[in-house]
Order: sequence, then C-alpha cells, then structure tokens
Amino acid sequence: MMTPQEEQEKLLEEALNIVKTQSFQMKRCLDKSKLMDGLKHASNMLSELRTSLLSPKSYYELYMGISDELRHLETYLLDEFSKGRKVTDLYELVQYAGNIIPRLYLLITVGVVYIKSNELSRKDILKDLVEMCRGVQHPLRGLFLRNYLLQCTKNVLPDVEEDAEGGEMSVMSHAAPRAIAGLNKMVNSSDVDAGTVRDSIDFIQLNFAEMNKLWVRMQHQGHSRDREKREQERRELRILVGTNLVRLSQLECVDIEKYKKLVLPGVLEQVVSCKDAIAQEYLMECVIQVFPDEYHLQTLNSFLQACADLHPDVNVKNVIIALIDRLAQFSHKGDVARTIPTEIQLFDIFSQQISLIIQNRPDMPPEDIVSLQVALINLALKCYPTKLDYVDKVLETTEEIFHRLNLDHLNASGAVSRELMRLMKIPVDNYNNVLELLKLEHYGPLMEYFDYQARKSMSIHLILNALENETSIPSPEQVEGILSLVGPLIQDQTDQPEKEDEEDFVEEQGYMGRFIQLLSGATTDQQYLILNTARKHFGNGGNRRIRHTLPAIVFAAYRLALKYYEFREEDEKWEKKCQKIFQFCHQTIGALIKAELAELPLRLFLQGALVISQMEFENHETVAYEFMSQAFTLYEDEISDSKAQLAAITLIISTFEKISCFGEESHEPLRTQCALAASKLLKKPDQCRGVTTCSHMFWSGKSRDGGGKEMRDGKRVMECLKKAGRIANQCMDKSVQVQLYVEILNSHIYFYEKGCSEIQITTLNELIAKIQEDIPNLESNDESDQINKHFANTIAHLKLAKQQSSPNYSYAGLDV
Amino acid sequence: MLVLVLGDLHIPHRSSSVPAKFKKLLVPGKIQHILCTGNLCTKESFDYLKTLASDIHVVRGDFDENMSYPELKVVTVGQFRIGLCHGHQVVPWDDTESLALIQRQLDVDILITGHTHKFQAFEHEEKFYINPGSITGAYSPLDSKVAPSFVLLDIQQSTVIAYVYQLVGEEVKVERIEYKKC
Repeated sequence: MMTPQEEQEKLLEEALNIVKTQSFQMKRCLDKSKLMDGLKHASNMLSELRTSLLSPKSYYELYMGISDELRHLETYLLDEFSKGRKVTDLYELVQYAGNIIPRLYLLITVGVVYIKSNELSRKDILKDLVEMCRGVQHPLRGLFLRNYLLQCTKNVLPDVEEDAEGGEMSVMSHAAPRAIAGLNKMVNSSDVDAGTVRDSIDFIQLNFAEMNKLWVRMQHQGHSRDREKREQERRELRILVGTNLVRLSQLECVDIEKYKKLVLPGVLEQVVSCKDAIAQEYLMECVIQVFPDEYHLQTLNSFLQACADLHPDVNVKNVIIALIDRLAQFSHKGDVARTIPTEIQLFDIFSQQISLIIQNRPDMPPEDIVSLQVALINLALKCYPTKLDYVDKVLETTEEIFHRLNLDHLNASGAVSRELMRLMKIPVDNYNNVLELLKLEHYGPLMEYFDYQARKSMSIHLILNALENETSIPSPEQVEGILSLVGPLIQDQTDQPEKEDEEDFVEEQGYMGRFIQLLSGATTDQQYLILNTARKHFGNGGNRRIRHTLPAIVFAAYRLALKYYEFREEDEKWEKKCQKIFQFCHQTIGALIKAELAELPLRLFLQGALVISQMEFENHETVAYEFMSQAFTLYEDEISDSKAQLAAITLIISTFEKISCFGEESHEPLRTQCALAASKLLKKPDQCRGVTTCSHMFWSGKSRDGGGKEMRDGKRVMECLKKAGRIANQCMDKSVQVQLYVEILNSHIYFYEKGCSEIQITTLNELIAKIQEDIPNLESNDESDQINKHFANTIAHLKLAKQQSSPNYSYAGLDV
Repeated sequence: MLVLVLGDLHIPHRSSSVPAKFKKLLVPGKIQHILCTGNLCTKESFDYLKTLASDIHVVRGDFDENMSYPELKVVTVGQFRIGLCHGHQVVPWDDTESLALIQRQLDVDILITGHTHKFQAFEHEEKFYINPGSITGAYSPLDSKVAPSFVLLDIQQSTVIAYVYQLVGEEVKVERIEYKKC
C-alpha cells in the first residue's frame, strides 16, 4: 500500500512520461512540417490535463511541463505565419479536437499566434477565448486553463487609449493590424479592430470573475471532514486568481480615472458578492499590494466600505492594517517626505470607517480592536507628525471602547494588555520626549486600565526613554505630570504584590534617582518649585524608596543654592531663598533619619556644611553649625560599629578642616568635640590614628577670626602627636605598635616640612631610633615586610630632603 | 597593557550616566584592568564596568553603598606597583604631601586617588600621582567647574603613558603624559 504522497508521485511521473513521449513526437512532426500530425500529438499530450486524480501541487507541475512544450508549437506557428505560410482556418481546425481541455488549450495557443501575427481582430479573438473557457467548469482544471489564457496573452493585451473620434491612438509601437479580407468569417465589416485598454479591462475582469467563482466553488467540494485540507489547497492556488489583478495593474493606460471607474468597482463587486472568507481576505490584500498607493488614496472610501461588507470570518483587521501601513510608508518614501494631499482627510476617513467596522462586528475580540488603533496611531504619527490631537483622538477612542466593554485591570499576560502596551509605547518611542506625552489628555487615564505589572512596565519604559534621551524637565507642572504617570515607581500601589524582586526594585529606584538629575528648571526659582514638587512625590515612597531617591534631591538642592549664590547680584532675595533651601535640605535629610538611616544622613549633613560655608548669606554660620552638630549627633547616637566610627569621625574632621566660616565661638567647641570623639574610639590603633588626624584641624584649619588664614597652632599639633605616641605605646601587638610609630613619624615629617617649628630634630631622631630598635624584633611576615618598606621609604625621603635645601625647614642634624 | 582609571561617578545621587561620548570610546575587550577610585555608588555602575573588562579593582568612596570595598588597595601591573585610594580619608584633601604619606606606606610607584573631581597627573619625588577626576563630571562642593574626565594607562615595560580624556563642552580632548620608573 502506498502513501497518498507516493501515489501522487507515481501518477505525476506517469503523466510526465506521456508528456515527454508525445511532445517528442509533436516536435518531430513539426520538424517535418506535418502540422496536423503535430497537433494530434499535442492533443494527446494535453489530454493528461483532463485528470481528476492529481493534487493541485502535482497538477501544477504537469501544467508547467506541458506549457513549456506548447511554446514550441507557438514558436513553430509564428515562424510559419511570418514566412507567409499561413494555415487556412487553423483557428477553426483546432476546435475539432475531441475533448474540451485539449481543444481549448490549442485554441488559446493558436489564437495568440493569430494575434501576434496581426491576423484577425485582436479584440474579437480575446473576447472569444475568454468566453470559450466557460466550457470547463471543473474548478482545478478551469483555474489552470484560465491561467494559461492569462499567461499567453500577457504581452498582447491592447493597451491603447480611445481617441475622441472613436478610432484608435497608438500608444505602443505596434503597427496597426492588416485586414485579411474574406478568408475568415471572424473579420468584421469595419477595419480589423485591435481593441483598446477598455477591452483588456473587460477581458481581465471577466476572466477574474470566472476564476474567482471556480476558486470559491472548491470550498464546497467533497466531505466536510476534508475542509481543512481543501482550504489549504485553495490557498496554494490563490496566486492563480491574483494574477488577474496583477495583469490589470500592468496596463499602462489604466490611469487613476479608469481605475476609479472601470477597474476597482468591478473587482470590489466580485470580492464582496462571492461571500467567501478566504477569497475576500486574499483579494483585498492583493488589491492593496498590486495597485499604486496614489490610487488607494483616491479610492479609500469605496475600499473601506467594501471592508465593512466582508464576511464575518474575514480578518478585516489585517486588511486595514496592511493598507494603513502602506500609506504610512508611502508618505515617507525617498528623501523627500511626501505629503498626503490635503483634500484627502486620511486620518478622519480611516478613523470613521474603522469605527463602523468595529460596530458591524460585535464579536471582534478587544485585542483586534486595539490592533486597529495601533495602525491608526502609526498613521497619525507617520503622515501627520505635527498633529498631536490625532494621537490623542486614538487614545480617546480606545478609552471609550474599554469603557463600553467594561474592561478593567487588564491582566498583563493577556492579549489585550499586550496590544494596549504596544499602543501606548508608540508615542513614547516616536516622540522620544516624555514632555510631549503630557500633552496627550487621554494618555494618563488609559494607563489606569492596566494591572500593576503592566503599569510598572510602562512606567519603566517611560523613565528609561527620558534617561536615554536626556530629556530635561523644565517646569514643576511637567514634573507633576510625569511623576503622576509613573506611580508604581514612586509609591506603594493598592494592587501591588506582597513580595517583589529586591534587585529589580533597587535598579528601578536607581532609575528614579537618575531621573531626578534631569529636573532642570528654566530659572532658579522654577527649579526650587520643581524640587519641592519632586520632594512631595518621592516623599510618599516610604522608607524603602526614599533612601534611593531623596539623596539626589538633596544634592540637587545644594547645586541650586550655589546657583543662587553665583547670581546673587541679580536677585536681592537670594539670601532668604538660600535659607529656605537649607531648611528644605535639613527636613529632607531628617526624613532619611526617620527611616532609620545614619551614615547616609551624616554624610549629607557634612556635604551641606561644606556648601553653606562658601556662601555668605545672613546667619550662614549658624546654619553650617547646625549641619555639623546634626552630623555629630548622628555620630554619637547612631553609629556604634567601630570601623564605621573611625570612618565617620575621620570624615567629620576632614570636612571641618575645609570649613572656614566659623568664628572662634563655634570653631572651638567643634574642635574639642572632634578631639574628644577621636580619643574615645574603642580600639587603640583607631584612637591613635584619630588623634593624629585631629592635628590637621589645628594646623590647616581656618576660622573666620583668623582672617581666612591657616591656624598653624604648632603647640596643639604637637600635643596631638604626643598623645598619639602615648596611645601607640599602649598597643600590645608589637607589629601594630611599630606600624603606628612609622605613621606618627611620617606625620611629624609632614608638619615639620610645612614649617611647624615646635617639632624638634631631636624628636625626629628619637622616633627614628625607636623604630630602628623595634623593627628587627618583629616576626618575619607580610605585615612586617610592609612596615619595613614603609620605614625604608620614609628614611629615603628624609635623606633626599636633607640634601635639598628648603626655606621652610632644615634637616641639619638628622640621623639618617 | 591598557588600564582604565576612573571614579567618582556618583550615579544616581549626583549624575545620571557616563557621558555618551565617553561610552563610545570605552569599547569592551580592549582594556585589561580597571582601577576605580570609588563613589560608583551603586551596583548598576559596577555592572557597567564589568562589561568593559574582567579585572576590576574598586576602593571605597564616602558614598559607596557596597561596604565590602577596601579602603586601600595595591595592584601590580607589569613592573609597576599601583596604589588605589579614594582620598576622602587623606587629610587634608588634595594635599601632595599627605598623599606622599600614603605612597610611602603602600610602597607604590604610582598612587591613584580621587575625591576632588579634579584631574591631576604629576611626578613628585620620582613617583607618579594620578587623579582621574570624575568620569561623569559630578558635582563637587570643592569645585564649581567639573569637566568629565578619565585616564587610560598604557603600561609598557618600565614606561607608563597616561592618556587623559576630558569632555570640554561637546569635545573630547586628549592629553598625553609619560612617566618612567626609576
């Protein structure tokens, strides 16, 4: 038992063998000029096309093979005719072939020869042929027969205009046909009529209508269980029917007027009246692809009207989208953007017609409705890029539809949500400017139809778009607008899940922090309002979020304050404004403290103090002092880890060293606090280093009373260094002790070379000697290696410095 | 051997991103090592650095979120010992002599620090000091005009050529500084 596939292959092979044999015979006869015998063999060959056993695919192969062979016949006959050896009544002769299939194929072949040889009326032959084909009503055979007709007549269809007097104007380079008087009853009484483009149109329209009918008939052949197979086979043959439309489009004399009046109405009528979904969907798309876009622009209403009348099973959405996309492309082709002629209200036409279509199809799934809106919005953006209201109209329509269908809280994984997201992303990606979105009234409301997942996804998309395009946000209203659109990233939502991925969350909050960098008011006053607006929104984020977002606001505020200071000549209220800003910062950092953070607020206060100290506004010393003491409070109350303590106190001291706005009244208590804190650190090495660091406060620290000059209090410096030495002595770990000695030695050197006269050479010598004594006793390991190198480098530096002379110091008497 | 030296990104607290013109220059696969002075401040920036090279060294800045970065680090590249420190711990800030203290302690040929957001590259007592500035041009209370900058070190035998890239307005300017190990 053979499989159906194998059976087909066998049948096809058998048929092709016969074709081979018969065509060979045919050619031999023709070579010997035995036409009638040749025709007999041709007829035999053509009889294979009478079969009902072949599948469409196999039949196609057979058909192609035979067509090739028939070309030989055509060439032979053309040759004979051109040499003047016409065969009398050939056109009639071939009609005596036994069966209709061979008869009609031969008739077509001969008919075309007659046309090409300028025998008889082209117009009449064509009319005759297209009518005669009615004789084959079997769908498969009929389709191929008519296809053969179409292929053979490809280059001989009349393509000339009628002129005003009803004669013919030759557009092509054909010579006018000659009349053969008397020989054939097909000759008209008037001159031999070549026909005009109207005749071609009629010819093709008739062929098309008949082919479509045959094609549709296939749908109803055979068992209902084979329906799927049949529909698949139909689809394989669709190009046969479509070729008619291609041929129509190739007629050069068909201009827009003829298209509107003669071509399109006939085609649309056939498509709508056949009431077959497969045919309708294919043919409508065929029309779109095959005819030029300029024609579509002029015939939109008829076309879309027809769409509304299509069979309910037709996926009309795809047809409309195909058309819209083509027209959108059309307006962008080439270097110059073509404008749609203003009389054609493209957007309105589509908008209205699509509404009608949706109304006529109550079963259209919501995602398909949204797909149509997507196509519309693309049209609006491509063809009318400046018309924001078109885009808004689409969004409004979508909202109305959702409202009508009672849709809400669309599941993110569902088709409707995905289509809606597609729709909403288009303006974002098109404008690349989130500020434009704020002009779309219906954008925000439409967001509310999504569920949490989708709203978050959209929010991220928006923010990333702003970041990638570095879109500046210049006004508080716009800040308000955008932050309202991205709710899920700003604060907890009523519909958000219990647990979210922590890494993702941090990343998203990072985006918001970066977004804050884009807030850039047109004026300093605007920027202040912007920061206030932003603060309100981000403040609602809860403790989880503010640690990521509020720092950025604080720094933006510091920058703003410096801006006000820079332009203080132009703004008499600048001092009050700066005070307000620092109050704002104080309160913002306070919110972080309430969220149980300590190290971050501490650093923010220190940063603030640095800024304030540079700006001489009224009572800025008090404000700076407040910031420093807040930092201290955090240090004392909240930071208990010893490593963190050392880091924090070092930072406080190093910051303080840079601040020069404090009078002695403020400077003194701060110095004292620092020193106290350093000496109270838990671990001895930390204490030692902390106290050493304090020495810098007394040397390069500046108070206002010193007139901005370094304090250079050598006495206090020495006190610190001595104390550090005593603490180092208390360390039990020998290598730690020696390490500290080397560090203390280096600190001595630092101040000595800066010109601290309280440091004696003898002190240095003592330190060096002590270290030289202790170092050899250390256990040999990586740590002691490091200490050795440190010391060696120190000595090397001293040797070098001793050789060079300096105005600040002299190393005479140093033991190195 | 190419070493990328950068730092003080301050993303997202003070900056949004590395300038696009810099990103275009920093092509993955060309750089062997990255030395970062700190203040990234978050994982997002670290992940970006990971795409540029596999060997990355970061030291802790005063605003870094990752607590596990060390305060000091020494890396050997070719013949050079390179020290890395953010610099906010070195008192006073931006003082050559205080930086020299660290150089002696770490026993390095090249000392890289940041914090000031100001590019610097100079020799001092035959050692090389580099500050790559802030690659994002982040705000600094110590300096009103910060131009984005970073440094690329080309280390060959006993010579280092430092290419400093600065974004001045819309233009990327490159300078070349040479240092030879003694």
